Amino acid sequence: MKKNIILIVSIAFLASCATQKPLYTWGNYEITSYNYLKNSDNKSIQEIIENYQKIIETQKGTRGIVPPGVCADYGFLLLQEGKKEQGEKMLMKEIILYPESRIFIERILKMIEE
Amino acid sequence: MKKIIYLIIVAVVVFSSCTTTSKIPKSTAYKGIYGEKPLSILLMPPINRSTNVEAKEYFHSTLNIPIANAGYYVIPPFLSMEILKRESAYDAELFLNSPLTKFQEIFGADMAVFTIIHKWDKSGLAAKVYVEVEYIIKSTKTNEIIYTRKGNVTYDASVSTGAGGVWGAIADLAASAINTAATKYVDVARACNTYTFKDLPAGKYSPNYGIDGAEMSGKKDYKVNLNKNYR
Repeated sequence: MKKNIILIVSIAFLASCATQKPLYTWGNYEITSYNYLKNSDNKSIQEIIENYQKIIETQKGTRGIVPPGVCADYGFLLLQEGKKEQGEKMLMKEIILYPESRIFIERILKMIEE
Repeated sequence: MKKIIYLIIVAVVVFSSCTTTSKIPKSTAYKGIYGEKPLSILLMPPINRSTNVEAKEYFHSTLNIPIANAGYYVIPPFLSMEILKRESAYDAELFLNSPLTKFQEIFGADMAVFTIIHKWDKSGLAAKVYVEVEYIIKSTKTNEIIYTRKGNVTYDASVSTGAGGVWGAIADLAASAINTAATKYVDVARACNTYTFKDLPAGKYSPNYGIDGAEMSGKKDYKVNLNKNYR
């Protein structure tokens, strides 16, 4: 009996320091971001775009929604690629998902119009 | 009575094996965060005082995930970087000791995180990287430091091929050499950032938001060994 209790308690404590499932999943966010920061060449832009699409389309985090900043940064890249309509749509999506981004994103949208 | 003592011993052993904490609850250690309840955070470009010029990008590309996964709104990193550049505000050193109210106005940021890389040394043969890095999160409202930790991290980048003997050792060395490419250094920074921000109080988007104040905070100055398995 005593052993059982000890076992249960240890499992409970062990479980409490095991990693929980994250709020968001990010694909290869870190390395694609690094390559883009470092090189900003066609290959790294293509890879970071593909990873953004992956994050948006196959989100497996516990919140089940796209993580902060992803739609906005993706939209920003689309704008730079000349895809104005698609890019603006992504920026708007950021505001819908995260209303606290409004101040910043509206400023960007205004800058595009100028 | 005996049973209780047993339980306490087991609990202490198991607890101490998974984390090194200070004796200060998070609600005291990070009282600015519990008081102000900040949500949005601006990533400042890391300040690199180490001799490795690449270290800045390693850290910059890996700051976002641990903070967002803790439940905060991280202001879009590339978009904000672009604006900082245009406003000639890309050098974070300029803002370390000056008012941050502008960041609230322009980015809607409640906080800004500064990363100072003090040291980044590698030893070739042992495939180890020694990093000394300091993190400072400041409130844009009060300019107070609401979170700061400084880490002394030894990262083991070696990989084992699983083969034994002399040939195995040579194979291990070769594998470690390949392993020390840029991708692996990104992982060093990732591990440092993940470890440091594990201690962040949960943000608004986390299920633990507002209920983790009684948890013990990690040490402000910490020393730790990490490797690629650290998540």
